[in-house]
Amino acid sequence: MKKLFWTGAALFVLVVTAQVEAGSKDMLFHAGVGQRSSLNEIKDAFEQLHPETMVNFSYKGSGYFIADLTRSQQGDLFMPGEEFYLLQAVERGFVVDYNPETDIPAYFITVIITPRGNPAGITKLEDFARPGVRVGLGNPRSCAIGLWQMKTLKKAGILNEVKKNTVLSAKCIPELGNAAQHRAIDATIVWATTAVLYLRDCEIIPIEPQYRGVVRLPVGILRFSRYPDQAKLLKKFILSDRGRQIFHRHAYAIDPAIPVDKDGFCLDDATDKEMQYLVNAAKAVKNPALPMTPEIIGDLAGEVLRQRKTRRAGN
Amino acid sequence: MNIRVSNMQGRWWPCLCTVAVFAAVTAYGVLILSNWAYLGWHDTLYFFSRPRMWQRFWLTLWTSVVSSAVSLLVGIPAGYALSRFRFPCRNLFATIIDLPIVVSPAVIGAFLFGITSRFPFDVISQQLGIYIGRNVYGVLLVQFTVTAAFCARLMKATFDIIPERFEAVSRSLGASNTRTFFKVVLPMAKTGILASALVVWARAAAEWEGLMLFVGATEGKTDILPFAIYLDWNGGMMGWVVSMTIACVLMAIAAMSAMRIIGGKSHVW
Amino acid sequence: MSGERKRFSLFFYSFAVLLLLYSAYLFVSNVDQLFVTQAAVKTRELTSIWDENREVMNRFAGGFWKDPYFWKSLNLTLAITLITTLIATAAGVPAAYALSRYRIPGKSLIEVIFSAVMVLPASSIGLCLIVLFNYGPLFAIQQWAGFRVAHSIFPGMVIASLVLSFAFGVSAWKATFKNINPRFELVARSLGSSRWCAFKTVTLPLARGGIGCGIILAWTRAMAEFGAVLLFCGTFRELPVSRFSGFTRMVGMDQADWLSIAVWAQIEYGNVEYGFALAYVLVVFGAMAMYVMHRIGAKGHIW
Repeated sequence: MKKLFWTGAALFVLVVTAQVEAGSKDMLFHAGVGQRSSLNEIKDAFEQLHPETMVNFSYKGSGYFIADLTRSQQGDLFMPGEEFYLLQAVERGFVVDYNPETDIPAYFITVIITPRGNPAGITKLEDFARPGVRVGLGNPRSCAIGLWQMKTLKKAGILNEVKKNTVLSAKCIPELGNAAQHRAIDATIVWATTAVLYLRDCEIIPIEPQYRGVVRLPVGILRFSRYPDQAKLLKKFILSDRGRQIFHRHAYAIDPAIPVDKDGFCLDDATDKEMQYLVNAAKAVKNPALPMTPEIIGDLAGEVLRQRKTRRAGN
Repeated sequence: MNIRVSNMQGRWWPCLCTVAVFAAVTAYGVLILSNWAYLGWHDTLYFFSRPRMWQRFWLTLWTSVVSSAVSLLVGIPAGYALSRFRFPCRNLFATIIDLPIVVSPAVIGAFLFGITSRFPFDVISQQLGIYIGRNVYGVLLVQFTVTAAFCARLMKATFDIIPERFEAVSRSLGASNTRTFFKVVLPMAKTGILASALVVWARAAAEWEGLMLFVGATEGKTDILPFAIYLDWNGGMMGWVVSMTIACVLMAIAAMSAMRIIGGKSHVW
Repeated sequence: MSGERKRFSLFFYSFAVLLLLYSAYLFVSNVDQLFVTQAAVKTRELTSIWDENREVMNRFAGGFWKDPYFWKSLNLTLAITLITTLIATAAGVPAAYALSRYRIPGKSLIEVIFSAVMVLPASSIGLCLIVLFNYGPLFAIQQWAGFRVAHSIFPGMVIASLVLSFAFGVSAWKATFKNINPRFELVARSLGSSRWCAFKTVTLPLARGGIGCGIILAWTRAMAEFGAVLLFCGTFRELPVSRFSGFTRMVGMDQADWLSIAVWAQIEYGNVEYGFALAYVLVVFGAMAMYVMHRIGAKGHIW
C-alpha cells in the first residue's frame, strides 16, 4: 500500500513537471474576444519567426481591460476592440509610445447580417424599422458595436422604431452573431470580421456607404511589460505587411487611406470592394460550385475553405 | 428493498412517481441526444478526428486529475475531521467551508481574480517570474478551489457511514491512532473514497466559469473542454461546440458509470 | 486526551482549518474591491467626456442599493428560482421516491443519466437547450405559435435553471428516502391505508429534514446557475420597456438580469465595484441557505 502510494506520488510529480515549460519568454497579450482567430494566426507566424518567445492571450470583454490592468499590473501588449479603451490606458499611463497615426494595424467595417435565407427580407438599413422585424442590438455600455449601432441608426433617423423592434440586448458581439445563426433574431449589424465567421449560416448585406462605419483597431505596448524587446518585435510584426495580410484574411480592412468623416462613417465607396468580397464569400461557402479566385473573394479563401469542410460551422 | 407495484387501491401515487421519473429521463435524454441529431455522423467523425479536439481533451484530463488529486489530499483529512470530531461552532465552520460550492462559479472566478493580484500570489509571481493565473496554473487553482470543499463534504459523508466502533476496538487492542486510521478506517472507506474521487474528478473537468474572468485563453495551454466550448461559441463555431459537448457528455457518463460500478452500495451520490 | 491523540486530531484539524482559511480568505479579502480606488475615479471622469451612454459609477460598491436595476434583478432571480424550486420539488420528490423504492426497468441507466447531468459543464446544458429549441421540430412549433422560448424570461430562464436544480434535488431526496426503512410504510399499508396515505402520514414526516435539505439545495443550485442561463437567455438590460409584457413590468422584472450574469456583466463593463457588490449579495444568500441547511441537520447523505 505504501509502495503504491509513493510510486503514485512520484509519477504525479513527473507528470506535472513534464507539463511545465521553462525557459521561454512568455508574453501576455490582452486582446478582445473578437480578434481571437486572427491573433491566433499571428501568434503562430510570430512564434515561427522567434522560437524562443511564446504569446499567451487573455481574451476578455472590453470594459474589463482597465479594471484588470489596474489591479493586476501585468501584461505586455494591449489590443482592445476599440480605440477608446487604449486611450483610457494611455491617460492612466499604462501604455508607452502609442502613436495614433501609425499604430493601427486594421479597421473594422460595419455590415448587416441576417439568418440563412433572410426570413425578413432585409435589403437595406431602413428595413430595420419595419414593424415585425426582430432586431438584435448590442448594449452600448459594454461593447463597441452597440455604440456604433446607435450611431448608425441615429444617422439614418430610425433609432426609435428600431428600438421598438429589439428583441435581444447583447452584452458582447459574439452573442449577436450567434443569435443570427440560431435564427433568434432577423437582423443585426456587426463588424465584417464577426460576420465572416458565420458565412455558412448567415446572409451578408452591405450597408450603404454613408451609413457604413470604419473603426480603428489599435495596438499598444504596456508600461509593465516584462519582455519589452520581444513586445516591440511583436508589435512591429503586427504592423508589418505580413501581419496586415493576416488581418485581411479575416475580413478586416487594412487600407489606411479610406476616407471617413469625423464620426467614422465612409465618405465614398472605397470599401465597396471589401463588402463585395464578403458577399461573394458567403455565396461561395453555401454553393461549392462557385469559383474562388482572389478577384471574387479577395483574401477570404481561407475562411471559405474552412467553413466548407463541415455541414455545421466549425474548423 | 423494493415494493412490487401490484394490486390494492390508490395506485395513482406509484403511477405519478414512475411517470415523473420517466418524464425527467426523457427530457434529459432528448436534451443530450439533440446534440447528435444536430451534428450528424459525418461531422461528428470529422471533429473527433482533429488533433485539436484530442489536445483539449488531454489538457482537460491531466488538469482535472492533478487538481482532484490535490483536493483529495486535502479533502480526506478534512472530511475525517469534520466527521469525527466535535467542536464548537461546527455549523458556522461547515457553512464557511461550503461556500465555494454553493456560490456561482462566476463569482468564484471574480474573487480568485481579486486575490491573485495580491499576497501571497504576487510574491510568488515576482519570485518565479511567471504570471500566476494566466496560464495552466490558473486553471489548476480554479479547479482546486471549486473541488476542495466539495471533496471534504463527500469524504465526510463517506466517513460518516463507517461506525466509530471499529476504531475504538482497534485502539483498545493497542494500535496507535495513525495505525488505526491507515489500517482500519481507510480500507473500509476505500470504495467510498474511490467513488467520491470520480465525482470530484468529473466536477473538476466541468469547471469553466471561474476561468472566464481570470485565466486567458491560450490555445493548447488553457482551453480545457468546457472553456473551449464557451470560446468557440463566441466564435460561432457551432460544430466544434456541439462536438465538444458530446465529448463532455461521454466523459461524464463514463465517470458516473465507473462510480456506480465501484460505489455499489454506498449511497454517497 | 493523551498526547498522541492530541497530535493525531490536530493533524486532521489542520486540514479542515486550512480549507476554512482558504475559503474565508477568498471571500473576505475581496471586500476592498468594493471601494473605488483613485485611478478608477480618473477614468470614470473620462467616460463622461467620451459618450453620454457610458456609465459613471463613482460610489462605494457602485451604490447598488440605489440602483433600480439591482432591485429588479434581485426580484427576477428570486422569483424565477422560487418557481424553479417549486416545479423541481413537485416533480422531483415523486421521482426520487420511485427511484428509491420501486423496481424500475433501466434504473441504473436512469441514475447514471441523472448523475451525469450534474457533472456536465453548465454551458453545455445551455447549448443543448439552444440546439433543442432553435432547431428541428420544436422550432417549427415556436414559429407557428409566434413565441420563442430562447432569450425569454418566463419559460426560458425557468427551464435553464430547472435542468440542474432538478437533478440536484432528486439526488438529495433519493438519499433521504433510501435512509427511511420501507417497513414502516408496509406496516401502514398492511393496516389498510392506501399508498398515498401511507406516504403522507408515515414517510413524509420522517423525511421532513431531508426533503427540506433537498429543497434548499435545489434552490441554491438554481441561484448559482450561470452558464445555462447565459447561453440560453442572455441579458435583458437594454431592451426597451415595450418589449416586456405588462405582467413583467407590473412585478418589476423588466430590464433586469439574472444575478450571476449581472455580476459578470458588470465586471466586464468595467464597473468592478458594482459587480463585486452583486457577488457579495449572492454569497450572502448562499451562506444563509447553507447555514439553514446545516441547522436542519444533514445526516448521512452528501451534505
